[in-house]
Amino acid sequence: MPSASEPTTAPTAATAPAVTLARRPVGRIVPAVAVLVLAAAVLSFPSLAPNPYILSAGVVVLNYAVLSTSWNFVGGFTGYISLGHGALAGLGAYGTALLVTRAGLPSFVALAVAALLVAALAVPIGFAALRVRGASFVIVSIALVLILLLVFQSWASLTGGSRGLVVPRPFPGLLRPEHHRVFYFLFAGLLGLALLAWWLIDRSRFGLGLKAIREDEDKAEALGTPTFAYKLVVFVVSAGFTALAGGLYALWFGDLDPVFQFSILTGSYMVLMALLGGVRHLFGPVVGALVVGFALEYFKVEFGNTPLHLVATGLLLALVVLFMPDGVLPAIGGLLNRLSRPTQSSIREVTAAQLRDERAAASAAEGTRDRGDAAAATAGGRPQSTRERA
Amino acid sequence: MTEVRSLATANLTKAFGGVVALDGATVTFRHGQVNALIGPNGSGKTTFFNCVTGMIRPDSGQTTYRGQDITRRAPHAIVRAGIGRTFQLCRVFPRMSALDNVLAAVRPAGLVGQLRGARARVEVDRAWGWLTRLGIEHLADVEARTMSWGQQKLLELAGVLMSDPETVLLDEPAGGVNPALLDRIGTLVRELNAEGRTFVIVEHNMDLVMSVSDHIVVFDRGRPIAEGPPSLIRTDERVLGAYLGV
Amino acid sequence: MPSGALLFQSVILGLLLGGLYALLAAGLTLYFGIMRVVMIAHSAFLILAAYLAWWSHSRLGVDPLLSMVVTVPLFFGCGVLLQRLLLARLRPVTLTMMSVLLTFAIAVVIEGLLGYVFTGTQRRIQLGYGSASFGLFGARIAVVKLIAFGLAAVALAALYLLMKKTTFGWALRATIQHRDAARLVGIETDRVAGYGFGIGLATAAVGGTALALDTTIYPSLHWHWIGPLMAIIVVGGLGSVPGAAMAAMVLGLMQSLLQIPLGTTWAQTIFYLALFATLAFRPQGFFGGRLAQRF
Repeated sequence: MPSASEPTTAPTAATAPAVTLARRPVGRIVPAVAVLVLAAAVLSFPSLAPNPYILSAGVVVLNYAVLSTSWNFVGGFTGYISLGHGALAGLGAYGTALLVTRAGLPSFVALAVAALLVAALAVPIGFAALRVRGASFVIVSIALVLILLLVFQSWASLTGGSRGLVVPRPFPGLLRPEHHRVFYFLFAGLLGLALLAWWLIDRSRFGLGLKAIREDEDKAEALGTPTFAYKLVVFVVSAGFTALAGGLYALWFGDLDPVFQFSILTGSYMVLMALLGGVRHLFGPVVGALVVGFALEYFKVEFGNTPLHLVATGLLLALVVLFMPDGVLPAIGGLLNRLSRPTQSSIREVTAAQLRDERAAASAAEGTRDRGDAAAATAGGRPQSTRERA
Repeated sequence: MTEVRSLATANLTKAFGGVVALDGATVTFRHGQVNALIGPNGSGKTTFFNCVTGMIRPDSGQTTYRGQDITRRAPHAIVRAGIGRTFQLCRVFPRMSALDNVLAAVRPAGLVGQLRGARARVEVDRAWGWLTRLGIEHLADVEARTMSWGQQKLLELAGVLMSDPETVLLDEPAGGVNPALLDRIGTLVRELNAEGRTFVIVEHNMDLVMSVSDHIVVFDRGRPIAEGPPSLIRTDERVLGAYLGV
Repeated sequence: MPSGALLFQSVILGLLLGGLYALLAAGLTLYFGIMRVVMIAHSAFLILAAYLAWWSHSRLGVDPLLSMVVTVPLFFGCGVLLQRLLLARLRPVTLTMMSVLLTFAIAVVIEGLLGYVFTGTQRRIQLGYGSASFGLFGARIAVVKLIAFGLAAVALAALYLLMKKTTFGWALRATIQHRDAARLVGIETDRVAGYGFGIGLATAAVGGTALALDTTIYPSLHWHWIGPLMAIIVVGGLGSVPGAAMAAMVLGLMQSLLQIPLGTTWAQTIFYLALFATLAFRPQGFFGGRLAQRF
């Protein structure tokens, strides 16, 4: 369980096995309920949407949610900030479109192949970008957007250049609202897949190694984590999901322009959304995508296409970086925690005690009193003749 | 015992700009013993550690461990070979719980193993065991950044031990530690040594060095100038010269 | 095969362009040396200075070079404030990453404001001496390009003297090399860091004015500058000012020569190719740069 609030008690206060047994199920039920409510809300949205425009806005927000969740594989776990993920999405989009129009592949086969190709391309990119520390990674990520914009604009014979590239629709028979509805569910499915993958990594040893890199890369390496390989693998996974989102967007939107596909702004939206929601949280990027996606659509309606949306984006990003680098979810979590447990001052007491309870139950067979000794014997793996603890 | 090949370096050299930190250091540590590496500030002890553990590439020279050349290996590969280390300014993962700090040292084998849950029962048992042994199991779920200096030092050691190193390199284990904890660290080193782990300790606290080590190597200006058992080192005039500045 | 005169002209233009790159990359390198900050907003400030030069010429009728009287001190102040009020607030652990985002945000805000105030229309200064040029062994060199290069060269020389000959330069170099040690010998590293940022941003003011003399400017132009500049500082070895200057001259020259067979657009890719090649094969850069290994 992530804990974001500052500790307000001495760590040793956690020794008291407080009255936590009654609260323990709450800790598991709340996330489960949250997931169910969220899933229900997402899935019922199309039938509640009053018109196709709102539905298409929903598709856009879901697309953002997938993109920022994909970004968060790198940004959240390793702490490496990529401003160039927009380029990976653009590659997915153009890859899908070109495979459909030039190679004649069926739409969704093209989507899968394009994602695999982008993931494969991410290997050499990651090789150059991840061998050294953060600053080079950021530089490469920005350079990626700029170079691809250059290439896709100039190579007009293949990409259509700035005239754009029309992508045939996968379901030509569908009317526009139906088209939106189908893609809404496709995006929702992709989001579910991305979240599942993130969750799996989050609780795995691989994920723990990645988080160790985020905390202190040298130290992680000194503890035996093959940091370069870890970073590369997660970057490739992230690139694959990003490309899937981009490709699905191409199939949905049906028209690609290099200026929008390889925009540095797309990448910065992903960062902003993930950061705003909270990069350490499974649902952080989704929450961020809801807020920012809604704000962007609102801005477009209210103010049209003025450069002011740039100013707003920049200011919001600066505010988040300066004042809320952990995002809103931890802030809300901390607040709820303080409200719901007025007698207990720190979330840690509960989780520490929980853990102890679990352990007590686990080693009940051996008798709780010498559980530490039994475990220590396992740990050392060697005869322990002269143990005496101060 | 001294015949067993352990960690050894040959002509290890490293310069930073014009400053020569290691000047052809040739050292052999004794397997199964507590080795100490002492010397005045700036004599290259920490650079030596960094080169041996792969954190820094030496300009020339060779490091071998049990007969294998490990000079150009990445740090994680050197851990895999059986060498663990702590850092001079103790380093833990600040925003992870103590338990996760220790669990992070596990080296899973294979792709499937890496995707298994980080809190698998076996691993948690081992981690809990080390936390208990170092007397900080009550902090298992506390974020490392909120711990005291001494607690962090113990936690760092627990993490290193979790990766089950045959040889443990400790960089100033006594630095900034109170006398009671110092005793405990000394006892722990002897215990772990009795269980079969080799130690190499960089340390300034001579009481600790003299009481725990079997073999002492003295560094000055990037190379060893003397070595031997504590009784001999205590009276070696080259050592006194290096420390007092001839 | 292009004629000798064309090649010669390209070499001259490449060197002139390289001088401007060198000045701007020196600023970027300074930030990185002081705080390990990749200052994305550097080129946005560059374009801002170019707009101010254009504005002072077209609205006030002042020679664009005179706009530096205002922009250089103004940008210096902005740099100091940026460092002291914003970047210094970030947590040291995540400084490199968060500072990228913060300066990125600043760049986007500047771009948006420029677009709002001056619209997205392309602007160009029409100078009396704008079309003047002179011949040199068959090559034609525009006078404004020479002025731009002269500005860059003078600013770089001033920066060099400041760094090498003054007490402040000594303190700045000490801060860059080892901040804690600098503090121990009594240098107020925070203040020095602030002034260092001011100087870095002042180079953007000079560079922007030089740029405005013979370039068409528009709000999103800064993206076309930050890419090459970042490539230059990586190729030169992050944190090394002479390295950055060397890389700038070499890459500027290569860009100019590649324009003959490839055209302007594709010639730009040389920067990115150099960037990827450097990181893949020699991450510490090609011209020294002690810091680069770790970043």
